[in-house]
Amino acid sequence: MTWAVWAVTGFLFACGAAMIVLRRQLLAMLMGLELMISAVNIALVYYCSRYADGETLASVLLIIAIAAAEAVVGLSLILKVYEAGREVETESLQELKG
Amino acid sequence: MQRIPGGFAFLPWPVILLFAAPVAALLVSFFIVRPARPRWTHVPILASCAVIAACAIWILSLVLFQNWGLDLPLGGWMVAGDWLVSYGVRVDGLSASVLAMVSIVGGLIHVYASGYMAEDPGFARFFLAFHLFFLAMIGLLLSNSYIQLYLFWELVGFASYLLIGFWWQKKTARRAALQAILTNRLGDFGLFLAALILLAVFHNTRFALIFPAIVNGHYALVSLVGFLLFWAATAKSAQFPLYFWLPDAMEGPTPVSALMHAATMVTAGVFLLARSWPLISTVPVLPDLIAVVGAFTAIAAGIVACAKKDLKRILAYSTVSHLGIMVFGLGLGEVAPAVYHLITHGFFKAVLFLCAGNIAHGLHQPTADLDQVGGLRKKMPFTFVCFTVAALSLGGIWPFAGYFSKDAILDAALHRGPWAIVAGVLIGVTSALYIFRMLFLTFFGPSPRQKGGEHIHEAEPVMAVPVGFITLGTLLGGLLGHSFSTVIKSGWPVAQPIAALPEFSWSTFAVGMSAAAVGAGIAWVIAFVNPSFDWEWRTKYPALESALNSDFGWKPFVRLATAGVVALANAAGFFDHAVVDGAVEGAPRVAGAAGEQGRRLATGRINDYVWWMLAGAAVLLLAVMR
Amino acid sequence: MLSAIWAIPAAGGLLVLAAAGRWPAKRLALAVAVCVFALSLALPWAAGPEGLSSLAQAGPLWAYGIRYSVGLDGLSLVLVWLTAFLTVVSLLSAWKQELSAGFWASFLFLEAACLGVFLVRDLFFFYIFWEAVLVPMFFIIGLWGSENRRHAAMKFFLFTFFGSVFLLLGILALVTMHHSATGLWTWDMAVLRGPSSGRAAVVVFLALVVGFGVKIPLFPLHTWLPDAHTEAPAAGSIMLAGVLLKLGVYGLLRVALPAFPEVSWSLLPWLGLIAAINMIYGALCSMAQGDLKRLVAYSSVAHLGFCVMGILSRTPEGLAGGSLQLLNHGLSTGALFLLVGCLYERGHKRGLSDFGGLFAKAPWFTFFFGVAVFASIGLPGLNGFVGEFMSLAGMARVLPILAIAGVVGVTLAAGYALPAYQAVFWADPGPGSVSAKVTELDWREKSLMWTLTLLMLWIGLFPGTLLSLLDSSLRGLLL
Repeated sequence: MTWAVWAVTGFLFACGAAMIVLRRQLLAMLMGLELMISAVNIALVYYCSRYADGETLASVLLIIAIAAAEAVVGLSLILKVYEAGREVETESLQELKG
Repeated sequence: MQRIPGGFAFLPWPVILLFAAPVAALLVSFFIVRPARPRWTHVPILASCAVIAACAIWILSLVLFQNWGLDLPLGGWMVAGDWLVSYGVRVDGLSASVLAMVSIVGGLIHVYASGYMAEDPGFARFFLAFHLFFLAMIGLLLSNSYIQLYLFWELVGFASYLLIGFWWQKKTARRAALQAILTNRLGDFGLFLAALILLAVFHNTRFALIFPAIVNGHYALVSLVGFLLFWAATAKSAQFPLYFWLPDAMEGPTPVSALMHAATMVTAGVFLLARSWPLISTVPVLPDLIAVVGAFTAIAAGIVACAKKDLKRILAYSTVSHLGIMVFGLGLGEVAPAVYHLITHGFFKAVLFLCAGNIAHGLHQPTADLDQVGGLRKKMPFTFVCFTVAALSLGGIWPFAGYFSKDAILDAALHRGPWAIVAGVLIGVTSALYIFRMLFLTFFGPSPRQKGGEHIHEAEPVMAVPVGFITLGTLLGGLLGHSFSTVIKSGWPVAQPIAALPEFSWSTFAVGMSAAAVGAGIAWVIAFVNPSFDWEWRTKYPALESALNSDFGWKPFVRLATAGVVALANAAGFFDHAVVDGAVEGAPRVAGAAGEQGRRLATGRINDYVWWMLAGAAVLLLAVMR
Repeated sequence: MLSAIWAIPAAGGLLVLAAAGRWPAKRLALAVAVCVFALSLALPWAAGPEGLSSLAQAGPLWAYGIRYSVGLDGLSLVLVWLTAFLTVVSLLSAWKQELSAGFWASFLFLEAACLGVFLVRDLFFFYIFWEAVLVPMFFIIGLWGSENRRHAAMKFFLFTFFGSVFLLLGILALVTMHHSATGLWTWDMAVLRGPSSGRAAVVVFLALVVGFGVKIPLFPLHTWLPDAHTEAPAAGSIMLAGVLLKLGVYGLLRVALPAFPEVSWSLLPWLGLIAAINMIYGALCSMAQGDLKRLVAYSSVAHLGFCVMGILSRTPEGLAGGSLQLLNHGLSTGALFLLVGCLYERGHKRGLSDFGGLFAKAPWFTFFFGVAVFASIGLPGLNGFVGEFMSLAGMARVLPILAIAGVVGVTLAAGYALPAYQAVFWADPGPGSVSAKVTELDWREKSLMWTLTLLMLWIGLFPGTLLSLLDSSLRGLLL
């Protein structure tokens, strides 16, 4: 059973990471981030059922809440960038270039 | 010899006056007379000279008649806990006899200078530096420890620097002053280090305390101290290898040359050796080395003097040669004859320089050439007489003062062995040769070939009278040999007494006289029989002339060594700039370059940053899982 | 009382800044500096018969044993006198220039920080004052210096700050080492002792030496000095050479050597070698310089070598002589920078070849410059000799070979100072010379120089009072 959970969550996590690294659209990157959080959450849920651990379940809930908050903040930032009349792509956001 | 515990209260007034008079005169002249009446600057200073001479003679007579002496510490100079270097005064036979000569000759040269320098715009400055020079020498003679001796030793060098460079507008004078003080400084290295070592070994440098200890005990570093002291003496007393500053030092006014050559500066080195003789005589090899260096310097400088044309330059090399004689005598272990020669030399060399100064003054130029003078005996009869007496004395002719002292040294040489005999005879021949050549070519022969020379006149009284008095000393100095023997023994710091002057011996007399006669005969031939020889050999043997002009190649070597030090300094300066500072200046450049490269990593694209983040997380994960 | 010594100039500096535009800044600054000098002269009387140590004060204890405390002994007193005196001298040396209030205030801040270093007895506050010295000096060089001032100021700051890092690490390590050995948190200089052997002790001691060595400066940490001196205004150079260089040696005497007596003793040959290199290498480099200020700066490197050699010897004469040499160097080099500043003020040049033949026009200038030159090359009778001789005499008892190197340094000193002296005052002025612009010293400069000359003569001939003052305090510290 464990290997199946690791395979699924690992696949999901890799997909999310790939989205963040490879996609240039901010919205897609935010989705990748959510995917990675969800992958970790699945693994955590599996382990708390296996060890009957309530505290871990609490942190799962906390992570869901944080993921929601993060989505809100990220989306609103993307919206602000869009409102400022700029493209929501990383190529146009290079103020940090050294 | 009576020794009394320390303190100023115990200091007899003549000794106090020896220091108080010149210091007061310098202060009064500097602060009061010079600003108000610069032309009167010499008045307090001459008064101080009179006081000094009186006190010195008084002290000498006390030493002579009452065997009086003094070695008094006078309070601390440098103090740290139980470590103490104190001022002090020492009067004994050695210092009293040399002091008497220095104060009489020096005082009379002061009088002479007040006439010689009367027209000079720097009159006040001259007299202040001149008297400081004199004061420093008096202090040097009366010092009772090596450290105090060093104090005055350096002050002598400092004052000589001011005086040699007195005509600072002249490039040659500047060069000569710099050369003199740097060479002396090189020699001072020896005295400084010797004082340090003695202080470290004995916790004291007082002569009266360390000499008995050295004679009675065995100390490893004392040999080194002996060599260092001799090194110091070679600079001050112009011995090979550090003699070269002295001939150039005549760039100063003539009274300075007279004072420096006769009384104050160059005698200091011989005095130091005589003072340190109890120490030096215990060092193996050193006395022989001193004798050889002295003989070599005396002969070589004598030969070079024969080829010079400038009057003062001949006398300068003659001084080097005669200092060589004194050092030779010391090296043979004969302290009394060496010091005696120091004293008689002070008299006759002062006369010779002042006469040369009178001639140059008559020609209205700083110095004169042999080519520019001749037949002066009619125009300057007084100068002629004085010069002749002094020349006979220098040549070692009986019964003039120089004969007695030189004869005593020759006597020691005759008893030493073949090489010393040869050296002694050669010294006698060369001395007579150069001084008689100078005498004949200056005062005899054809009249001056110099334009304006026909107007040359006898010196005015203020410059003639002092010369006359010093000449008297040259005439009478030889008669005082017996008294001198008594004086020099008085207060000798160690139990072993020093030998008196040797008794008269016919063989020494014959050798000395015939050497002088040979020298004088050659000079006669050069001057009268074959007068063209003196310039013909220069064209015939240019190699010989250049060898003599360059002091047998030593002068170029010194120049090379100086250039070496300068090159070393420049190399150090370059190294400091390029390497040491280069590393410092390079560090920010390296940091800057690293930053320049590092900024390329910051692309500004979020995706790239995430790559880095993931890589970091992976590393952390691996580190945790391991 | 002691805190007032550093607090008055600090407050005075603030006052000068606050009153800028209303009151004449330089007069106010001078008044404050003179007050501080007078107060410092009064310190021995204030101490009364119980001795200088009775003036010590301490504040409440803070965390980790930090406690503000001040104290006074002979060494501190002499350096306080030097600082207060040279501040007055440097303010007066810049008197004719029209400068903003910040310039005058900077000198008071600098004085306050230096006095603080000499007075506090707590390492924590020592370090604070130590760092505070850098700030006013940075501005003095960077704002009021000559052409290349920015580079020099930055180099000065970064280089000395680099040294301070080592110092800070050394201090922290020393305090924690002392804590782990005794269980006591303290920053008191009189109490702190490091381990007597071991690699850690050597490393910490060397960190302190590097920290102090940058300020001294020891070879090869000296190259900030010529640049800083060359670009600083004359008044800044006087303070830099006269006071700032003393901080390093003072730190060695007060902190590094007492805390690690055994380690420093075992490292004596190496440290002595560095001091010897300082003397000889500094003199040689000085010979190669064509700029008067650089020349004097390198001569400082050589002179400070004597101080270090003296105190390393740990003999009474070496300690007293080495610390007296601090004062001597402050006076003679201060005088030299004052006079070079006068030259620069008149001719706006510093090169040896830019002048010549000044003797004819300015005999007093020549006279005083000569006094300062001969004092700095150690003519007996002037102050430099006493310090040099005693330092070397101390070392001659411990490691004679190093004393020989020192005597070589003494000999070389004449080789750089006198040719430069002749080039400026005797030689014929060359083409492009600015000698024509140089005028005689005015009465203000003359009276400053007379004061310095008399002090040099006094110390040269009768150093007994100062030596006994130094000796008694150093004896307690290091013997």
